[in-house]
Amino acid sequence: MPIRIEAGRVRTGHARMRRAGLALAGLLLAGVAGPALAGKANDTLVYASDSEPENLSPYHNNLREGVILARNVWDTLIDRDPKTGAHRPMLATAWTWVDPVTLDLTIREGVTFHNGDPLTPEDVAFTFNYVLTPEAKIVTKGNVDWMKSTEVTGPHSVRIHLKAPFPAALEYLSGPTPILPAAYFRRVGLDGFSKAPVGTGPYRIVSVESGKRVRMVRNDTYWPGSPIGKATIGKLEFRIIPDADSRMAELMTGGVDWIWRVPADQAEQLKADPTLTVLSAETMRVGYLQFDVAGRAQATSPLKDVRVRQAISYAIDRKAMVDNLARGGARVMNAVCFIEQFGCTEEGVPTYAYDPAKARALLKEAGYGNGFDIDLSAYRERDYAEAVIGYLRAVGIRAKLNYLRYAAFRDALRAGKTSIGYQTWGSFSINDVSAFTGIYFRGGEEDLARDPAVIADLQAGDTSTDPALRKAKYRQALTRIAAEAYALPMFSYPSNYAFSADLAFTAQTDEVPRFYAASWKK
Amino acid sequence: MLGFAVRRILVAVGVALTVSVASFLLLHLSGDLATAIAGPEATGEQIAAIRVQHGLDQPLVVQFGTWAWHALQFDFGRSFYFPEQVTDLLASRLPVTLTLGVIALAVALLVAIPLGVVAAFHRDTWIDRTALAVSVLGQAMPSFWFGLTLILIFSVNLRWLPVSGNATWKHFILPAVALGYYAMPAVMRLTRNGMLEVLSSDYVRTARAKGLPPRKILIRHALRNAVIPVIALAAVQFGFMLGGSIVIEAVFSLQGLGQLAWESIARNDFPVVQAIVLVLAMIYIGLTLAADLLNALLDPRLRS
Amino acid sequence: MTVRPASLPSAQAEIALPPARSPAAIALRRGLSHGGFLIGAGIVGLVVLTALAAPLVAPHDPYAQDVSRRLIPPIWHAKGSVEHLLGTDKLGRDYLSRLIYGSQISLLIGLSAALISGAIGTTLGVLAGYYGGRVDAVVSYVVTTRLALPVVLVALAMASLVGGSLKVVVLVLGFLLWDRFAVVTRAATRQVRAQDFVAAAKAAGFSPVRILAQEILPNILNALIVVATLEMAHAILLEAALSFLGLGVQPPLPSWGLMIAEGKPYMFFQPWVITIPGVALLILVLGINLLGDGVRDITAPEGRH
Repeated sequence: MPIRIEAGRVRTGHARMRRAGLALAGLLLAGVAGPALAGKANDTLVYASDSEPENLSPYHNNLREGVILARNVWDTLIDRDPKTGAHRPMLATAWTWVDPVTLDLTIREGVTFHNGDPLTPEDVAFTFNYVLTPEAKIVTKGNVDWMKSTEVTGPHSVRIHLKAPFPAALEYLSGPTPILPAAYFRRVGLDGFSKAPVGTGPYRIVSVESGKRVRMVRNDTYWPGSPIGKATIGKLEFRIIPDADSRMAELMTGGVDWIWRVPADQAEQLKADPTLTVLSAETMRVGYLQFDVAGRAQATSPLKDVRVRQAISYAIDRKAMVDNLARGGARVMNAVCFIEQFGCTEEGVPTYAYDPAKARALLKEAGYGNGFDIDLSAYRERDYAEAVIGYLRAVGIRAKLNYLRYAAFRDALRAGKTSIGYQTWGSFSINDVSAFTGIYFRGGEEDLARDPAVIADLQAGDTSTDPALRKAKYRQALTRIAAEAYALPMFSYPSNYAFSADLAFTAQTDEVPRFYAASWKK
Repeated sequence: MLGFAVRRILVAVGVALTVSVASFLLLHLSGDLATAIAGPEATGEQIAAIRVQHGLDQPLVVQFGTWAWHALQFDFGRSFYFPEQVTDLLASRLPVTLTLGVIALAVALLVAIPLGVVAAFHRDTWIDRTALAVSVLGQAMPSFWFGLTLILIFSVNLRWLPVSGNATWKHFILPAVALGYYAMPAVMRLTRNGMLEVLSSDYVRTARAKGLPPRKILIRHALRNAVIPVIALAAVQFGFMLGGSIVIEAVFSLQGLGQLAWESIARNDFPVVQAIVLVLAMIYIGLTLAADLLNALLDPRLRS
Repeated sequence: MTVRPASLPSAQAEIALPPARSPAAIALRRGLSHGGFLIGAGIVGLVVLTALAAPLVAPHDPYAQDVSRRLIPPIWHAKGSVEHLLGTDKLGRDYLSRLIYGSQISLLIGLSAALISGAIGTTLGVLAGYYGGRVDAVVSYVVTTRLALPVVLVALAMASLVGGSLKVVVLVLGFLLWDRFAVVTRAATRQVRAQDFVAAAKAAGFSPVRILAQEILPNILNALIVVATLEMAHAILLEAALSFLGLGVQPPLPSWGLMIAEGKPYMFFQPWVITIPGVALLILVLGINLLGDGVRDITAPEGRH
């Protein structure tokens, strides 16, 4: 007896009695919703992933699952061709830089939201201005705080004012900044919007069952001429299955059609199944260890000593982890960013090759000859975290794993409660280093080092329009981060996708599955 | 009987109140609520405003009163994580857990009662000993491991039953077996002992002496009397099962109350955790109360 | 006048009271002829020995990892290796060594949790049984309240609040699993209290503390041992469940429940990673239960129950 809320019809007011009644009525009826049949025969693509966004509004979660929904349900002003990296018109038909802090955009006519409202410049201005207000309490601040304000300048145009020159602006406008329907959002509020989201994208959300699934159908009135085209598959369903093995078993038994993040071992085994296709692709996601440099979690933290952080960096055999655990095209990273992002470089950046003897020597020098106890927090790829713990143990550091859900992990990190955080970051698929270092090293909440020198360099890089200067600044910052060992970059994450052999699906390095582009094989 | 019923109900109400206090304290032990409600990015001022707005600056007793009054009306506040009322979350998950519990109990009773009866009839034979062995084994098996093993055999290798979720009745079979198996030994032993006691009682011996067929004796006399304590036990076991379903729901990705509780614990979403503790406890208290009253009605000896 | 819900486990408690002073010789003879007891004692003895001698019998360091030698199957597989009799886990750690060290954790948790809960439960039960009346009413009330709380859920919540670790698991379980101790010792104490020698001690003017310590406790000891075995088994299973759910013992400690959790991703293709620790748990718990049942039967007045 799932509570289903149809799009556009949001329950308002207090319905306590009804709720109590529902609970009672549900006692024996039980959760026997119509079985969600996956597969080609039902023209329903069921994809499963582990985490449920706390809020389906694209600005109110920073989960990858939320990004996927955002890309399939909403459109952005600009589109970035995943193959060439070129920026293509989407909801904006044209744009011009008036000066480095002023961007004019022409908004497309004839686009309608899923609820029938036409898209207007007002929607664009509302979206960007709303998310910048503190009351909006968005969790993806880093994606929008380069904007100062947005104004409607004509029946089909808007102007975005920037706080400072921001060369990566178009990258951000073509990813994590989807356009929300102003009138509808104002009417239902954030809560209502989260339960019945409305966008302009190729799929329309028809029901949200908290903790279970999000059902979508193809938007048959999707605007013609979109660079991403109309969706092919009729129905799309996101199923939340927290447990990785259940996801795999569901795939093997036909309960779902598509899963991802399959560990390398299992991916290899699944290849033997003729009804499945297994695909490995490198992604922009990079794992790294973030150290409590300031000693916020523990005033006497050994991590305050650079030698200890360097010792940890020497103690871990990242190459062996790549070769044996991650596999599938993973690469060891030496700078804290994805090597192919603009501005990311390993040139001149100090590297820490596996050297346990040196690690022990550094620890001894720092006065920790007998090692120490420390917490290590992680939220995904538990095996990697456990391997790190094993390596640390070999040099005398006794780390205890604190395995959390992402929301709890993020909150603990922001509150300065983690000693060593095993982070991973996919940069919101933005091909610019600012999307990585800007969040973790530019003095923000998730910056555990807060080094003024690094912050100054990053700010200079993020706001300059001179590519050469930007590169130089980023290199300087990345070098200092590595020399001080504020963080230890681990390696890039390959993603292993496994899906029904009936499905034609292409993976992109930006880790955003484009289900609207998928189709059933004939 | 009336006196017993009134006293028993008073005890139940008292226990319910105590459990409420415990569950209320659980929420308050989980950390500063104002900070949690305000979110990680709130300023000190915002937190202070929320503290006043939610009455968190009031004495704990007053807060408990407000909370209990709301809880009585099925209002447990908002989840810290989801933009939803806790009650809505519970309403969507409780049916799954109850269904699982009912089926698991049915499985346990349907297997354990006949097994107990047969064991009693064939006391001290290999049948009795096998039944005993099965029950001892049941108590020793970690339920989550048993569940995983069932998945491995029946879902992955034989492909008879689905792995996870709760879309159809088929999804409930394996989890119900894994959950019910754990309750079987107690039910079986109790049925067996009850049967043995009844079978050796005077009136059954009389009935036997009269030459009544064994089946008639079994149904008309023995089973009816032996089943009374089993009812009480079944109610208690059902309560335990709801509490224990957290592990089984995790294994089978069943999106019931247990799974919600587990995830909410991992997400520090304590309003939800607290409400689940309270709901499960209330169900248990209600069940044992009903079982005791029923028992007392059927067996006057228990009223003293 | 007390109101005791009939659904309290005592209504089903099958623990018979031992005779006032059972000669050790009789117990020994009965023990040696009791199959279940012998098997149980054998299993428990073996596990205890293994746990004590872990550093001597374990072939490898249970924490030493080698990611280039991961997931080697056990010796009975074609690809097994003599060096790792039970194979290696996902990080290349020797499975047999982890299993051996894991027995220490299970036993430690079972024993300490049973000790704590035994102390709490016995105190409550003996007081209720000896004094009766109001004290009994209060204790019954506390037990009923405790039974209404869902154990796994409360344990998980507590462990998450304090942070999962071996110590926390022991304390949480110790403070949750005392109900059966209280119920059984209460019933046992009531029976003993009614006997002549207690009345004699009272008449002689002995203090209640002395009567409880010298007359009551020794006579309910057998019942206590039986409950203790049950609760040990219970605590071991709960620890495994908590660790399996990620809120019990934390990596890299080799808890059996944790080993099952860590092996779970591999269970479809390397089923032995969950079968081996699962069977180990099953055997240990079975052994403890058989031992407990055996003790109950042997010390029961008319021999076999």
